[in-house]
Amino acid sequence: MIRILRLLQNIPAFLGLMVLPWLLGSCSNINHKQSTLDPKGIVAQNQYDIFMLSIWITIFLFCAVGGCLLFVLWKYRVKGEDDAKEIPPQTHGNPKIETSLILFSSLILVILAIPTLQGIVLFNRVPDPNDTEMLKKLKLERSAVEDAITVNVTGKRFFWVFEYPEYGIVTANELVFPASKAVRLNLRTTDVIHSFWLPKLAGKMDLMPGQENFIWFVADQEKLLFQTDKEGHKTPATIAEAMPAVHDGSLREAVFKDRSFFDEFDPVGGLFYGQCAEFCGNSHAYMQFRAMAQTDADFDEWVHRFQSLQAKEKPEQYNSEKAYKAGDTVLLKDSSLGEKAHREWQAAVDVDKGQAPEVGNEAWKKKNQDDYEMGRNHFQTSLCTQCHAVNSTGLGAIGPNLTLFGLRTSLAAGWMQNDRKNLTEWLRDSDKIKFGNLMWNHEVVKNYQPTEEEKDKGVVQHPVRELKNDPKKIEQLVTYLLGQN
Amino acid sequence: MATESVKYVSPETKSKTLLDIFRRPDQHATGIVDWLTTIDHKKIGLLYGLVALCSLIFGGIQALLIRSQLWGPNMEILSQREYNQMFTMHGTIMVFLVIMPLSAAFFNFIMPLQIGARDVAFPRMNALSLWCFVAGAIILNMSWFFTGGAPAIGWFAYSPLTDTGFEEVTRDMGPDFWVFGIQVLGLASLLASFNFIATIINMRAPGMTLMRMPVFCWMTLVVSFLIILAFPAITIALVELMFDRNYGTNFYDFLEGGKPHLWQHLFWIFGHPEVYILILPAMGIVSEVIPTFSRKPLFGYGLVIFSGAIIGFMGFAVWSHHMFTTGMGIVATSAFSMLTMLIAIPTGVKIFNWIGTMWGGKIRFDTPMLFALGFITMFMVGGFTGIMHSSVPVDMQQQDTYFVVAHFHYVLIGGALFGLFCGFYFWLPKMTGKMLNEKMGKVVFTLMFIGFNTTFFPMHYLGMIGQPRRTHSYNAGHGFEQWNQIATIGAFILGTGILIGVIQFMRSFRDKSLKPAGKNPWDARSLEWTLSSPVKEYNFARTPIIKARDQAWENNYGPRDLHSEKEPLDHHGVHMPDHSWYPLFTAIGFLVLVIGMLFHSSVGAEGEIIRNYTVAIIGGIIAITGMIMWSLEGPGGYHLFPEEDDE
Repeated sequence: MIRILRLLQNIPAFLGLMVLPWLLGSCSNINHKQSTLDPKGIVAQNQYDIFMLSIWITIFLFCAVGGCLLFVLWKYRVKGEDDAKEIPPQTHGNPKIETSLILFSSLILVILAIPTLQGIVLFNRVPDPNDTEMLKKLKLERSAVEDAITVNVTGKRFFWVFEYPEYGIVTANELVFPASKAVRLNLRTTDVIHSFWLPKLAGKMDLMPGQENFIWFVADQEKLLFQTDKEGHKTPATIAEAMPAVHDGSLREAVFKDRSFFDEFDPVGGLFYGQCAEFCGNSHAYMQFRAMAQTDADFDEWVHRFQSLQAKEKPEQYNSEKAYKAGDTVLLKDSSLGEKAHREWQAAVDVDKGQAPEVGNEAWKKKNQDDYEMGRNHFQTSLCTQCHAVNSTGLGAIGPNLTLFGLRTSLAAGWMQNDRKNLTEWLRDSDKIKFGNLMWNHEVVKNYQPTEEEKDKGVVQHPVRELKNDPKKIEQLVTYLLGQN
Repeated sequence: MATESVKYVSPETKSKTLLDIFRRPDQHATGIVDWLTTIDHKKIGLLYGLVALCSLIFGGIQALLIRSQLWGPNMEILSQREYNQMFTMHGTIMVFLVIMPLSAAFFNFIMPLQIGARDVAFPRMNALSLWCFVAGAIILNMSWFFTGGAPAIGWFAYSPLTDTGFEEVTRDMGPDFWVFGIQVLGLASLLASFNFIATIINMRAPGMTLMRMPVFCWMTLVVSFLIILAFPAITIALVELMFDRNYGTNFYDFLEGGKPHLWQHLFWIFGHPEVYILILPAMGIVSEVIPTFSRKPLFGYGLVIFSGAIIGFMGFAVWSHHMFTTGMGIVATSAFSMLTMLIAIPTGVKIFNWIGTMWGGKIRFDTPMLFALGFITMFMVGGFTGIMHSSVPVDMQQQDTYFVVAHFHYVLIGGALFGLFCGFYFWLPKMTGKMLNEKMGKVVFTLMFIGFNTTFFPMHYLGMIGQPRRTHSYNAGHGFEQWNQIATIGAFILGTGILIGVIQFMRSFRDKSLKPAGKNPWDARSLEWTLSSPVKEYNFARTPIIKARDQAWENNYGPRDLHSEKEPLDHHGVHMPDHSWYPLFTAIGFLVLVIGMLFHSSVGAEGEIIRNYTVAIIGGIIAITGMIMWSLEGPGGYHLFPEEDDE
C-alpha cells in the first residue's frame, strides 16, 4: 500500500519530466502552415503587432489583478478556528479607489484603441501611392501599390475561383501572385457565406451573398527568402529557391521532392495556406486553398501561359479543303480511340489540301498519347465540360477551372496532394473524400441520359458516379488531367 | 403541530370549478401529480434545475464526441454531417437548455426568498413558463428522429445556409425544429422574465428598498429586462426564417433580393445581450458568495449594481462585433470596436470590487468560495481575450478560429457554469436542508478546474496557429495534433468532474447520511438565510420588515435597531393557492400546435405541396382553452396558520 502511495507521489515528477519538454518542443516552432504568429505580409504584420500589444496589455493586467487577488487570499485567509469567528471591519467601499481604477482601465484601453483604428483603415484601403509618408512607414515601394493587381475571388461550395480581370484569366484553388505587388481581392459568393482566410498575409474577410467585400495584402519579400528543413529550421535562400516558378512546374517539384503532403514544413518560403473560415455546410473543413508568391518575371510567364491557353481558339475539325501550316493542330475522328472520339494532330510541315492526317502520313504527327486522347474524349462525353473549363476561362462554370491542372500541387481544394493516386481515388469516389461535394451530388447535368436502372428508381445520378466501375476510363482521365501542364 | 389548514373556498370560485376537466389538486396532492401541477416557486425552480442538469449531461456527451473526433487528423468517429449536427445541438442545448434554465432555477428558488415574498407575482404563469421550456426542449430534441436529423446549421443558423435552396438533405426538417424550438423556449423566457420583473417591483417585503436588495436579485431584474428586450429580435428573425422556409417569402433569400446580413444583425442584436443573459446571473451568485466567505459586505455595492445595469444596457450596442469580418465598412467597424472596448470597463469594475470585498476580510475556502474564485480567474482570462478581439485587426485573424472557441468557453464555462455550480454548492443546503459533502465538492472543483483549463487553454494556441472552428477534420502537417489531444484529455477530465458534481447534487435530496444544514450554515448575509432549511412551503410565517441590506448578518451581529421585525398577526394566516393543471395543459397545447406546424405540409403525387393545419388548429384550441379555463378557475387555495417563528 505504502509502495503504491510512493509511486503515486512520483506521478507529478514523471509528468513534469515527460510532458513538459514535449509541450515546449511543439511550442518552439510557431511558423506552422496557417500560423497567424508568423506574418509574411504587411497587413498580417499589422494585425500581429496589435495582437502582441494586446497580449502584453492583458498579461500586465492579469499579473496585476491576479497578483492582487493572490495577495489578498494569502493575507486575509482564515488562520485557525478562533480567527474564523472574528468579525472583520464591515467597510462598504471606497469611491476614490473605485473611480481611479475606472480611469486607469480606460487609459489602458486608449493604448489599444489608437492602433486599432489605424489598423482598421489599413486593411480596408490600399494606401494611396501619393501618400509617401504612409508608404515609408509601411516600408512599401510606390510601385507595389501603384501596380497592384486585382483578383476576383468567388467562393463556391466547396472550392475557390480566382479570376484575374486585368489579364482575363481564371484559375481555381491556387492563387498565384507577384511578391512585389499589392493584391486587391474582391470577394464574392454565389451560394452561402464563406470566409477567405489567408493567415500569413491578410487575415480574413467574409464572402457575403449579394455583396462584394474587399481585402488586400502585399507580401514582405524579405521575409520570404528562406528555406525550411523537415524539422522547421530556417536557412536563408535565394529567390529561385524560396519562390520557385509555378509555370514550369518547379514549385510543384520543389514541394514534393523530399516532403510528404502532411509534413509540417515546406521547403519554400513563398507558399501560403488558407482556408474557408465560415461554416458553409458538410464539407466546410475541406474548403482550403493555397497562395504562391512569384517573382515578377515568373508571374508574367505564368499569366502568359494562361492567357495563351485560355484565349486561344480551339483546334478545328480537319477540313480537306484547306491547307495547313507547320504547327497547326486539327481534330479528326479516330475510331481506334472509341466511338465518336477525336484525336488531335499537329502538322509537322506545311501540308497541302487533301492530305488527311493518318498513321503513316509523315506530314502529320499525333499530338498526344492515346491515353491522353481517350481521357480528353471521356472528359467531353462524360459531360465534365458542362461544369469544368479546360483551356478557357469558363466564367460562371459550376466547377473549378482545370486549365494547367497538372501544375497544381493540391487536389479537392487543398485537401490532398495532386498526384495520380489521389486523383484516381478522387474520380472513383469523391463523395467519400469530400462528402456533399456538388460534383457527386449535383443532379442538374444537361443532356444526360439516365440509365435504365436510374429511370426505374427515379433517381438521376451524376455521370461521375459511373466511373466507379471503369478503372480504365479513370486512368485515362487522370492522364489527361495531369497532362495539363 | 404548528400548522393547521383550513380549506378556502370563495363563492365565485366554487361555481367556476364546475368547468374543471380535471379535479383541481389541492395541498394533499402527492407524487407525480404534485410535481406536474405545482405552482410553488421552489418546486418549479427545482424542476428547472433537474431538466437543465439532464440537458447538461446530454450536451456534454455531444461535446465529448466532438472532442473525440478532433483527437487526430482525419478521424472518422463522426461523419461531417453528424459533426455539424453535434456542434449545432451542443451550442443550442448549452445556451438555451442548460445555462439559461439553470439561472432560471436560481431566480425561481432564491429570488422570492431574498426579497421576502410568498411566491412570484404570477405563480401559474411561472408554471407555464416551466412547461413551455420543457416543450421547447422536447421540440428541439425531436429533430434527431425526423428527416435530415438534428439541424446542421450552427447555433447561429447563418442565412442562407438555412435556406431550403441550400439544404444538403432533401426536405431537411432539422432547421424547422430548431426554429420552432427556439420560439417556444423564447416564449418560456419571456413569460418568466415578466414574472420576475413584476415580482421584484411589487412584492418586496416592507423596508426592502431597491438599494437594500441583494445583488443577485438586482441581476435577476437586469437579466429579465435583457430577455424581454432581446427576445423580440430573435422572434422576428425566426418568424421571417419560418416564412422563408415554408411560404416562399424572401427576407434572407439573396437571389430574390433578400439580405443575409439582416439575419446576422437580428440574430446578434439578440445574441449579444444573450451573452450577458448567461453571465450576469453567475455574477450575481458570486456577488453573494464572496461577501459571505469573506465575512464582509460587498465592496462598492452601488457600483457593482450600476455596472451590472450598464453592462446590460451597453450589451445592446455591441452586437456587430460578431460581424467584424462581414464587410461593414470602416465607420461601423470602428464604432463597434470602440464600444466593445468600453464594455470591458464595467466588467473590470466588478472584478475590482470582488477583490475589494475580500480585502481585510476573513476568507474561508469552502467549495462555494473555491468556485467563486475559479469564476473570477477564469472569467478574467475570458474577458482579456475578449479585449483582444475587440480590436478589429486582431479579430481579422481570430474570428472563427479556436481562439474564439477558447474565449467564449472561458466566459461560459469558466464564467457562467462555475458561477452556477458555485450557486449549487452555496444554496443546495437551503434547498435540501442538508450540507453537501465538502470533500467531494473539492474533488469536483479540482477536476473541473484542471479539466477545464487543460481543454480550453491550448485552444488559444490552436487558433493562433490556424485551426478554424466548425471543421470536422484537419489534415496532418498543421501542428494541430498534440494540442487537440491535450484538449480532448482535458475534456474528459472536465466531463468527469461535472458528472460527479451533478450526481452529488441529485443524491443530496435523498441521501440521509448528510449533516443537517440548519438555518444559516455559511453565516451568510441575505434574507433567505433567516429561514429554515429546507424552506417551508409558505416561506415566511409573517412578512419580515427589512431594516438593512445584509439582513441575516445584521440580525446576528448588527446593532439592535437594524434587526428585522415582523408584520403583526392579522389572524388570516398565510394564503396558499391550489395547484393547477392548466399551465401544463396550455403548454401541451403549444407543443401540439408546433408539431402540427412542423408536419403541416406534405408533397402530393404530382409534386405539389399539400398543407393541412388540422393538428396545429387543435393545438391552438387546446392552448386557448387552457388559458380560458385558467382564468376561470380562480386562485382557489387554503390558509395555513404557522406559528410565528416556524419559518
